[in-house]
Order: sequence, then structure tokens, then C-alpha cells
Amino acid sequence: MSSIRDLEETPVPAPVLESVADAPVSGGVPRLRPSRFKRTAVTLRPLLARPGFLLGAGLIAFVLLAAAWPQLLTGYDPYATSEADKFLPPSMAHWFGTDDLGRDLYTRVVFGARLSVAAALIAVGIGLTVGLTLGVLSGYLGGLADEVIMRAVDVMLALPPLLLALALVTAIGFGTIPVAIAVGLGIIPGFARTTRAEVLRVKILPYVEAAKLGGAGWFSVLLRHVLPNSWGPVAVLTTLDFGFAILATAGLSFLGFGAAPPAAEWGTLIADGRNFLMTTPWLSLIPGLFVAVVVFSLNHIARTIEEL
Amino acid sequence: MNCRKHSWFKYICIAALAFAPLVLTACHRKASADDNTLRIAFAGDNTTLVSLDPFQVYWIEHRVVLRNVVESLTDQNPDTGEIIPWLAKTWQISPDGLQYIFTLRDDVTFSDGEKFNAQAVKIAFDSDEAETVKNPGVFGATYLSGYAHADVIDDQHVRIVLSRPNAAFLQATSTTNLAILAPASYALTAQQRSRGAIVGTGPFILQSYVPAVGLTLIKRKGYAWPSKAVTNPGEAHIDKILVSYVPEQYVRDGAFVQGSIDIVWPRLPFSDTESGLLKSHGATIYSRSLPGPAYNLFPNTSAGRLLADPAVRLALQKSIDRPGYAATIYDAQFPVVESVLDRTTPYFKSEKQNLAYDPHGAAQLLDAAGWKLGQDGYRYKNGRALALEEVAQAQSPGDELLQDQLRKVGIALKITVVVPGTYVSDIIHGNYDLIGSYLTRGDPAVLQSFLDPRFALQAKLALDAYDPADLAEAEQLFDAGLITTDTNKRAAAYGQLQDLLIKEGVAFPIYERIWQVAVAKNVQGFTWTDEGFASFNDIEIKR
Amino acid sequence: MTGYILSRLGQAFLVLWGAFTVTYLILYLLPGDPLSIMLGASGIQPGSLSPQQLDVLRAQYGLDQGVVAHYFSLLGGYLQGDFGRSLADNDPIRQLLFARAAPSLELAGSAVVLSVLAGCGFAYAVSLVTWRPLRQALTRLPALGLSTPVFWTGLLLIQIFAFDLGWFPATGNDGIQSLILPAVTLAIPSGATFAQVLLRSFGDVWREPFIVTALAKGLSRGQVQARHVLRNALLPVFTLIGLQIGNLVFEAVLVETVFARVGVGRLAQEAVLRQDMPVVLAIVTLAAAIFVVINLIVDLLYPVFDPRITRTPRVT
Repeated sequence: MSSIRDLEETPVPAPVLESVADAPVSGGVPRLRPSRFKRTAVTLRPLLARPGFLLGAGLIAFVLLAAAWPQLLTGYDPYATSEADKFLPPSMAHWFGTDDLGRDLYTRVVFGARLSVAAALIAVGIGLTVGLTLGVLSGYLGGLADEVIMRAVDVMLALPPLLLALALVTAIGFGTIPVAIAVGLGIIPGFARTTRAEVLRVKILPYVEAAKLGGAGWFSVLLRHVLPNSWGPVAVLTTLDFGFAILATAGLSFLGFGAAPPAAEWGTLIADGRNFLMTTPWLSLIPGLFVAVVVFSLNHIARTIEEL
Repeated sequence: MNCRKHSWFKYICIAALAFAPLVLTACHRKASADDNTLRIAFAGDNTTLVSLDPFQVYWIEHRVVLRNVVESLTDQNPDTGEIIPWLAKTWQISPDGLQYIFTLRDDVTFSDGEKFNAQAVKIAFDSDEAETVKNPGVFGATYLSGYAHADVIDDQHVRIVLSRPNAAFLQATSTTNLAILAPASYALTAQQRSRGAIVGTGPFILQSYVPAVGLTLIKRKGYAWPSKAVTNPGEAHIDKILVSYVPEQYVRDGAFVQGSIDIVWPRLPFSDTESGLLKSHGATIYSRSLPGPAYNLFPNTSAGRLLADPAVRLALQKSIDRPGYAATIYDAQFPVVESVLDRTTPYFKSEKQNLAYDPHGAAQLLDAAGWKLGQDGYRYKNGRALALEEVAQAQSPGDELLQDQLRKVGIALKITVVVPGTYVSDIIHGNYDLIGSYLTRGDPAVLQSFLDPRFALQAKLALDAYDPADLAEAEQLFDAGLITTDTNKRAAAYGQLQDLLIKEGVAFPIYERIWQVAVAKNVQGFTWTDEGFASFNDIEIKR
Repeated sequence: MTGYILSRLGQAFLVLWGAFTVTYLILYLLPGDPLSIMLGASGIQPGSLSPQQLDVLRAQYGLDQGVVAHYFSLLGGYLQGDFGRSLADNDPIRQLLFARAAPSLELAGSAVVLSVLAGCGFAYAVSLVTWRPLRQALTRLPALGLSTPVFWTGLLLIQIFAFDLGWFPATGNDGIQSLILPAVTLAIPSGATFAQVLLRSFGDVWREPFIVTALAKGLSRGQVQARHVLRNALLPVFTLIGLQIGNLVFEAVLVETVFARVGVGRLAQEAVLRQDMPVVLAIVTLAAAIFVVINLIVDLLYPVFDPRITRTPRVT
């Protein structure tokens, strides 16, 4: 049972199936519905799943706090330069070390959260509003409207969000806002498609049909029955795209299209630090690691929601 | 695992096979490292004006390359700034400064075999002049200022006639901008020359140029006519020079450390960490102040702008901690800027006492002018914030340091990073308070290229930099500097000009423009030309 | 079947036209003054020009003919494979793209191969792990690959493998040596996506009715695993290769910047920095075209892999 190779020669005993199917199933043929199936899985490993989730949620809470009240989390001024404190390695006084102008890097990461989170919020806000509307209309109305909307979504899908961002930055200049708008436009297709699929699924559920037959207007059916039942995957996608938006904004800032100095978005911090990669690698590696951990936490939270 | 049994694996195999040729071609393109090849990494190509045409080029990295491909009538002694013979053995200037007669060497040929003679010189100057008519904003125009015509006296003698005095003209004949190309080059279009169709008399031949990627120079066989500024009398020691443009600093330094680059040549000076790293890998650092203006910010004094007020300009001048800037951004030994000009420029005058860091004085001036400190540490007057907008083309730590320095006296500096198109339109529409600009030339007349509204490439920037009251005096001093070739009179004029520019806040010097290169241990004979370029004839590689 | 192919081709053209139009609108209608941007990008100082000269230049850039006419003349050019000229150096854009294409194709091609191999291999390997906690941890690992900024991964690899260990050159595009680090960097996010999807599909496919049928027919589990589970689990990966192209193109811009490779990605970055609008338009349209073509191929091949959906018009 230790390798797939065994599977080819011998009839497979149940436990091997478990290793493939990602959860214990007693008796052979797996015909459980996914939701119940996953629920079982979750109940079996709460201890393993929870600490990770809590850790992730804690970090996201920290980031949101940093975005709202950065001065609560640090005693330094993010913009105060100091020649004597250039390039100090991480220490108790400077947790992430100091940069080429002697500024505290941890403080700059904390203050950078505002721009990064704001950009991600704008992006997800656009994606969510427009994508949700398009998806609901498309799925609920069907017919020609569906056809037209989905073709439009195909067009947007063919334009990768970040290339769209390049075009937008070329046209209206640098800054966090154009970048965030472009990323928001870029994640519309995902939302539209997910919502549409959910609406299509929910629309034909017996009780929705019943409500329709009962004479409820299409809008009230949509509002009362369809939407509340479609939010699950959308919530997961929102969380995931929040992470994506952070990464995308960082990428564009890295290329030099981001915020105006001295405000430092996370991508800018990584970009600025890279010139000192050989001498003081932490200047770009620590902010990068921080971004990775934040996005990973969002990812982990999304997965946990999905599995509940 | 065999493909037949696992159909999915088969598809991956197919996909892998489909891409195999790509990977294989990658294997075959391995560059062969030639022992006698010098590899230089510059920070970047000019993506705004893609041109190697000497007359048009202001990009200093290109002028380094061109200096070794094309040659000029004269050269400049890098130690004294004195004009010395090169393609011209001697010259005479008429007392009115309007006629220059050059006696040419008779042993010089262009790399296409054509003979260098008076006719070639005339064609070169006439073609350059024609270019200024077609394209008035072209960089070389100020070098050629006042040019009327050239007469061929005989094969070895050419007379150049000016219509008005231009004391900087002799220096101009030493620059790459007025280099003499082969007549065949001028038969081509400026566009073709821009893309590398350049034939000169220099110790190297331009073999290929790929914009934004790099260029290749090869040795000119039989070369034997360097100026006295060069030690090696004959052919270059190295066979080939590969120039690449590497915008990323860590990439350049990494390539140097790994030994795949011999000379790292960034636009901005090394920080102390960077030079420390390079030195620890055997590099020798060569530095030279680039003649011409230092790095200055120029104000927009047009009506309604904050810097229209002379008190604010003066306070700004006092709020900049120049020694702190040099020490923080570069290192403790870095020279502190002392005038609107760099110290290698002829007629440089130290304005040290007028550029002292004096935050208290600045605060007093601002208080007196009605700018009071607000709650947030910035100054306000009638509800208007003392917030200056600097328009820059790239983000730099220096700007952020300056921002913090000004914050200490309550001046907010807002840095707007824009692309070149917006930069130009911001200048035209006056959407800035401070803007940086510089050009390199071994004569103070270069200031006119951006501070004399009559000649500046960006006339609007020049015009807006002056309080209207100061403009007439400045123009008069610019003229006084050019009208006579008498060095004492020129020194007096340019001295007064520097006083004016600093005291009236027409220019805010930030740092001395030092050009630095890191040269690998086995590369010897690196020497600067006067304008801060390099002659590669003397370089030897010991492997 | 022919009808299906034709309708998919039609859709592909429609999508491509839409992408071109959207990009055109963004680039040429959003800026207040396209002429000054274009002059700036070509290194001309508008301050030194007379109104007459400005008119000549406006005509030269095709801005005098009105938006609609300009749009159609550009579109006409694109249909004939003429992308216009770069503002900065006046070179035909097609020539620029050709000159830069090889390093980018090498990079993207090897990254796709690497990511598919590594992603599938990883998922396969994880499915072999029987110790639950380890498998749990490994299942989460692809998410980490997805969460890491690709340019940062590049920096990290440079720091370790080029600067510290000295195994590979940090940059450049000479030969396979310099291709390895960037290709690995670029392969990580898409490889992680593949692994993640495949790990899920392994689970999902085992619950499909046809597996039950197959088992009922008396096939051994080994045969089912080989013939049905793996093959079907791989279907979403196949679709994803198409969908990943968009991300891959942008990530290539970042990776080429980090590793100083001279490719189309760096051309894109340069073009944005100097507001070279025709070049940006060409690159974005080209990326959309690659996306559309690859997805078209995937869609057309899909029925071959999964007969259930031969007649379904849309599958992605």
C-alpha cells in the first residue's frame, strides 16, 4: 500500500483509497456527497486545522490593524532618516533591521500595510461588485443576456489583469490607484463566472422553483433565495483574490509603477531593498517573506472556509 | 514508468518533446569568452532618444563609447582642461574670435579607408549645421552656436567662420558632439547614423548596436593618431569591447562579482556598501566629477507658485543639508557640492558659504515671510500648506532623504514620479515646483543649454527658473562669458553668474555629479578624458 | 464537429477583437493629451515646436484623423500583421518583437514544461505519502508557492544559487546555465497551481459515477487508477495550462526584469516606462492572442480527452 505502483498489480484495499481520496472512507466505494464528506474530514482533524487557521487569522487581523492605526504597532517614524543607523541588521531595537537611509524596516512594513490593503480592497471591491452583478444577471436571466455577458467576460479573461494594468498605467500614470483599478478589472471574470455557476446551480433547486411558481417576482426570488445560497464559493474567491490583489500590486510596484515616495507599498520595499541583496539581503527578503506569509494566511483561511 | 500504460504521462512526454528544441537551442547559444575582450556594463540605454549619432547624443554612456570610435579636431587635457591638439595639429583664432584656422594631421584615415582632410571637416560641420536647421532642439546646436561656414584652404587647412563670438567653440571642437565622421556617414540619414551607421577615425570600430541591449566595438587596425592625453601611441591593446545595458544594480554587481563583467559603470555613484562589496572582489574604483552643472533642482517661479517668493527660495537653499546628503547617500569621503557647477568645470567658483546648511536661518526667514509651523510639523500661510512638488523620472533614495531634510524645517516635499512624456508636459504646463536636470560638458557655456531661455532645450523650464527681475542680468552674464576668449574676463563673468544663480535661488545644488566605475583587478590602464569619458586605447587585460 | 470548430474559431476571433478594442480604448482615449505623450516618448520637445510643426507631427502619428479612423487604420494594420512603429526608435514593432521573442519563448516554454512536470510529479508523490500529518503539510505546500511574490522568489534564488553558491550566473541570456534560475522562478507559481488542482482532482475523480461503473465491471483498482483516475484528474490541469498563460506572461515581465533577460517582458516594461503606446498595445494584444490560441487548442482537444463534452459549446 505504500506506492502507486502496487495499485497497478493488486486489487486495492480500502486504506489505499484513503490515501488517494484524502479522507477515511469505510468500506470501499466512495459515494458520499462532497459536503458531508468534507465535514467528516474536518471533524477528524480539528486540532491540526485550527492552530493554522488561528495563526493565519491573527496575522490578517494584525495587517488590518496596521492598515487602520499603524502608529499603534510601532514607536518609530517610518520616514525619519538617520545617517548613523544605516543598514543595521535585525535586532531587538529594529526587528527587521534598518534600510539605506537608516529608517526602521519593521515600521515601514507596518505603515506600508495601509497602501497594500487599500489597493487590495479597491481591487476586490471592483471585482466583487461588477463580477457579482454580471454573474447574477447572466446566470439568472439566461438567454441572450447570458450570451452577451459571457462573451464580454471572455474578452476580459483574455486580457491578463496585470497586462491590463500595464496599459492603464501607460495611459494614466503611476500610482497605487490605477494599479488597484486594473487588478480589480482583471479579477472580474473570475467572480462573474463563479457567481454565474452558483446561480445556475441554486436556480433549479426545488424550493427556488417553488418560490417562482408561488408567484414571487424574479428580483425577490433572486434576493431572498438565490443570492443567500450562492455566497459560499464567492466568499472563498474573495479571500483568495484579496491575496492575489496584494501580490499583483506588489508586482507592479516592484516594476516601479506604484506609490509615490516616501510612502512605501510592500512591493516597493522589496524593490528598494534588492540593490543591497549581496550586502544586506534582509532589506528585500524580510518584506518579501512578510508578503508571502500574509498571502498564504489568506489562502489558508479561504481553504478552511471552503472545507467547513 | 512507461508511457504506454499511463496515457496522461504520454501527453506530458509529448509536451516535453514539443518544447525540447527550445531548450536545446538555449544550450547552443553559449557565448564564447574571448580572452582579450573587455566587458562593460552600463546602467541603461537612452530609451527616449535612441541615437548614437554624435551630434545628437547627450547620453553620457553613449559619449563614452563614441569617444573611442569618432575623434575631434582637438582634445582637452583632463588635468588642466586646456585644449590640446588631436586631429588638428595647430590652430589660430582671429582677434575678433570669429575665425578659426585649423592645420590638420595628414596621416589620418577613416575606418572605411577614406582620407581625413579639410574637405571631410567641412562636410562634417556643414552637415551638423544642416541638422540644427532641420531639428532646432538637437543637442549639438549649442556647441555649434554662431557657426557660419567653413572654407577649405587646402587639403591640410580649414577655416571655420562664426557669425558671432562663441568663446566655448574651441572647447566644442574637442567634444564627441562635433566629432568628424567620414563623408560617407553624412550621406546617410540621421536615423541611419542614430542606429549605428557611424564611421570615424577612432581606435575602435562600432560593429553593432542593439538599442537597450548592447553594442560591440572592435579594434581598428593600424590606428596611430591619439591625442597627447593618451599614453598608447598605436593600436589598442584589447581586440574587442562588449557593452551591455543592465538596469538592475544588484545584477551588475553580481555579474562583476561572478567575473562576467570587467567594468561596472552605473550612472549614479556607488553607495559605500556597494563600493565596499566591489572592492572586496578586487575592484579599483575610479571617480571623476563630471564637468558641467552639478545635480541641481530648478524652481518654478511663475506667478502663484510657492517659489515665486524669494524668501521661500532662500529658505529652501538653507534647508538642504548637502554634507549630510553626500555622506548618507554616498559615503563620508564624497565631495560636497559647492556650486551650481561641478568642480572640474572651467571657471568653477566655490559658493560654499552661500550653500551652508542653516535650518535656523531658514526657519527665521519662513517665519518672517508668514509661514507658521502647524500642528503636523509643516508650515502654513493663510491656510495654504508649504508643500513643494518635485517632478522626477525615477524614484531615488536621495529624493527621500531630501524630503526628510526639508521636513525638519516644515517644508513638505511631494515627489511625483512620472514617465518621460508626462515629465515634458509638466514642464510645458508648469506643473511642478522643483525639477532636476543636468548635462555634461567641459565648459560653463553648457549652462545655457538649460538655463538660458534663448538657447535652452527646455525653454520653458529655463524661463520659469528665474525671477523676472534676475533674467536680464543672467542673460547679460551668459553673453559676457562667450564674447571674449580672454580667460580672466570669462572667469569674472561666470563667477558673477554662479553668485547670481545661487543667491537668487535659480538653482538648488544637491550633489556633486561624480562618475564612478569599478574596474576588475586584471584590467589596467583605465583613464578618464576631461569630460569624464574614457579612452580605451590604454586599457590592457592581464588574464 | 466542423460546426463546433468553426464556432469556436469565430468566438476566438471575437474575443481577440474585443481585447484589442479594450486595450486601444484604454491607451488612446484615457490620456488627456496623447500627442504630448507621444512626443515625449519619441524624444521631441514640444516646447520648441510651432503650431504648424505640431500639426505635421499630429498627422504623422495619425492623431489628426479622429479616433474612429485611427482605430480602424490600426485594426486594419493588425489584421495584415503590421503592428505599426515604436515611438521611441521608429522601428517596426513586429521587428522589435521578433528580435526579443527567442529569449522569452525559451523562458516561457521551459517554465511551462517544468511547471507541468513538477506540479504533476509533486501531486503524484504526495498521493503516495501515507503518513497523514506529512501528507497534510505537503498538500498545503503548493499554496505557499502561490503566495510567494514571483520576483521575490527570483531574488531569493539569485541570492542563494548565484551569489552564495555561485552555481549559476545571476543574469543574462547566454545558454542553458542562465536559463535555469529564471525558468524555475517562473515555474513555481504555475507548478503550484497544477499541483493544487491535481491533488483535488485525485480526490474528486474517485467519487465519479464512471469509476464506480469501472469498478463494477470488474477492473482492478490498479487498472482504474491508471486508466481513469489519473487521466481524468489531469483534465483540469490541461485546461489550466491554457488559463495560466495570462499570468505567465505578466510573471515573465517580472522575471525578465529580475534576471535582466532581454526579452519581450522587458520590452513591455521599457515601453510602459516611456509611454510607448503602440508597443504596449502590440504586446497586450499579442498576449491576448497567445491566450486565445492556446485556449482554442485546449478546447478543440478537450473532446479527445473527455468524450462526455464533445457537444458542449464552452468548457473552460
